[in-house]
Amino acid sequence: MQLIKLNDHLWEIPQQGAMLVSGRIYANARMIEELRDDPALTQVANVACLPGIVGHSLAMPDIHWGYGFPIGGVAAVDATNGVISPGGVGYDINCGVRLATTSLEFKAVEPHKHRLADALFAKIPAGIGSEGAIPGLSRNELKRVVTEGAQWALRNGYATQRDLDHTEEGGRLAGADPDRVSERAYQRGSKQIGTLGSGNHFLEVSRVDQIYDGELAEAFGLREGRVTLLIHSGSRGLGHQTCDDYLKLVGASMARYEIRLPDRQLAAAPIVSPEGQAYLAAMAAAANFAWCNRQVMMHLSEQALMEALSVSPRELGFALVYDVCHNIAKFEEHTVDHRKRLVCVHRKGATRAFGPGHPVLPEALRDHGQPVLIPGDMGRYSFVVAGLETAMRETFGSSCHGAGRVMSRHKAKAEARGRDLRLELEALGVTVRAHTRAGVAEEMPDAYKDVAEVVQVMEAAGITRTVARLKPFIVIKA
Amino acid sequence: MAARSTSPDNSDTPFYREFEHTGDTGIELTAPSRGELFRRAAIAMGAMLVGRETVVANLERNVTVAAETDADLMHDLLAELLNLFVVDSFIWRDAMVEEWEGTLRVTLRGEPFDPTRHDFRGEIKAVTYHQLSVEQGADGWRARVIFDI
Repeated sequence: MQLIKLNDHLWEIPQQGAMLVSGRIYANARMIEELRDDPALTQVANVACLPGIVGHSLAMPDIHWGYGFPIGGVAAVDATNGVISPGGVGYDINCGVRLATTSLEFKAVEPHKHRLADALFAKIPAGIGSEGAIPGLSRNELKRVVTEGAQWALRNGYATQRDLDHTEEGGRLAGADPDRVSERAYQRGSKQIGTLGSGNHFLEVSRVDQIYDGELAEAFGLREGRVTLLIHSGSRGLGHQTCDDYLKLVGASMARYEIRLPDRQLAAAPIVSPEGQAYLAAMAAAANFAWCNRQVMMHLSEQALMEALSVSPRELGFALVYDVCHNIAKFEEHTVDHRKRLVCVHRKGATRAFGPGHPVLPEALRDHGQPVLIPGDMGRYSFVVAGLETAMRETFGSSCHGAGRVMSRHKAKAEARGRDLRLELEALGVTVRAHTRAGVAEEMPDAYKDVAEVVQVMEAAGITRTVARLKPFIVIKA
Repeated sequence: MAARSTSPDNSDTPFYREFEHTGDTGIELTAPSRGELFRRAAIAMGAMLVGRETVVANLERNVTVAAETDADLMHDLLAELLNLFVVDSFIWRDAMVEEWEGTLRVTLRGEPFDPTRHDFRGEIKAVTYHQLSVEQGADGWRARVIFDI
C-alpha cells in the first residue's frame, strides 16, 4: 500500500483504482511502520470507494483491522447523494463510554476497594444467562425504550435531567422507528437493559491521576485524587441483531442501486432509498437502547458506591461528565471544499470531538469543547481530552476512541496461558472481578497499544487537547 | 434431491483453527465433505461459546436455513445458532447435518445453558461477512469466518 507522509502525524493513501477520495491516517512514524502490512490500510482504501464520500477516508491513530471499515475509521458522505453503510457503524450500534466524577478521595476509598468491587460485580449483570437489571419489560415498554433512549431512564427514575444534558444527543437520537427493529432483535435485547456485555466492555473505578489542563479539568469536574467511574458498553443483542438484519437487507439491494464495493461487509444503500431510511430508523432505535443501557448501569453503580461505602448522595457527589458514542452514523453540518454541507458521518471506533463553541454542546461545556473519553487498557490508564477547532476542519469533528489492539485475542489468550492475570493486576493495584478467565486474558494490558501514544498523536495533530489521566483501581468485566 | 446425513463425532478433535485477527476472532475449518464442514462449523460455534466438555448432549433442537450460496448458508446457519444460544439459552455439544443444495437442516444435541455449571467463554456479537468464504478444493472443503466479539 502506497503511503505518503504529509507531516509527522498524518499519512495519505493516494486516490487510486475505485477509490473516490484519498485515505488519511493519523499516526506517528512508529505506528505507521507497524501498520504497513496490516489489512486495516486496505480497509481505509475500501471505505474510500463508498458512493458519495467527501473529504477523505479517515483513520484515527487507534486504527486496527476491523470488518469492512477499519476500527478507528471515519467517513462522511453527502446526505443527499451518499450511501449509508450498516457495517460502517458496526454490530454494536452506539457502543460508547461514559464518565462520572465523585467527591470521594481515592485514599479514602482504596482501603474498601475489594468490598466496592464485589458490590459492583453483584449489581451489574453481565447479560448472559442472567436477568437484566430491569427484568420483564413488555414489548411495548421496550419500544418506548428504543424511541426515548435515556429519556426513558429519566421517566423511570434512573436518570436526572443533568445526566441527559451531559449525554451526546441528549441520550436520544431522533428518527428512531421501533417498528423497524425486528422481532429477533427485541428478543435478544429484552433482558439486557443495564447489562455490561463481554469482549472489550468494562466498568472501571479510577482515580484522577494527572491533570494536564487545569482550566478544562475544572470545567469537566475533574480534580486530582478524586474517584471516577467509567463505563464502556453498547446496544447489546438488540443492536447486534439490527446490524445483521440490515446488512442482509442492504446487501440484497446493492445490485438494484448499481453499487459495487470491494468488501461485502461494507454493504451500503443510498441514504434516500427505502432500505437506507429503514436502516437509519432502526439504527437510531438501537442507539437509544444503548444510551438507556449505559444510563441504567450508571444508576446501579451509583447505588453500589453508596451502599458499599456507606455514603449519602451528597457525600458521594456523583456527576456525569459526558457520554460519547463511538459506533454511529449521524447527520452533521461540516465545511467541505469551503462550503457548509450536510453530511452523514460514519464513526466506526471513533468519537465525536466537537470544538469549543459548537451549538450542540451543553451550555456548561460549550466554551470548552466536547469532553472526549479515551479508555486505555485495564492495567495502565485512560484519558479525558477535549475537542478542538482543528477537528472540525480536518476530521469531521472526530477523534480516536481507545488504545487500539496490537495483539489478536487468540494470541493474548496464548500469552496468558500459565499466568494469573488477576493476581498480576492486583499487584499493580487493580482489582479485577470477571465472569470468565478468557475475558481477562483477551483484554490483558499487553494486547493494547499504549493509549498515551494514541492521545499524543491526536494532540500533536491539533485534534484534541489532553485534559486528565485516569488510573483504574477496580475493573469489572463479563 | 436426496438428503445426506452426517453422523456425529463424539471425539474432542479440534474442529477449527483460530487465525490472527486483531480486533475480533476468525476461524478456519476444513472437512472432507460439504456436510461435514457445516457440522464442524456448528460444533465450533458451540465450543467458542461454552467449553464443550461441560455440555451434556441430552436434548435435541433443529435449525433449518436456506440461502443461495454456501457462504450465505454458513453465515445464516451460524447466525441462527447464535440466536439459539442467546435467546433460547440452548447450548450444544454435537450436531448432525442433512444437506440439500441451498438448504441445511441441522440437529443439535445439547442442553439448556446453565451459567453456574457451564464454562462460558464469552459473547459472540455477530457472524460477519468480512472475508467469509466456503470453498471446495482438491483436498476437501474449507471455510473461513470472522466473528465480531
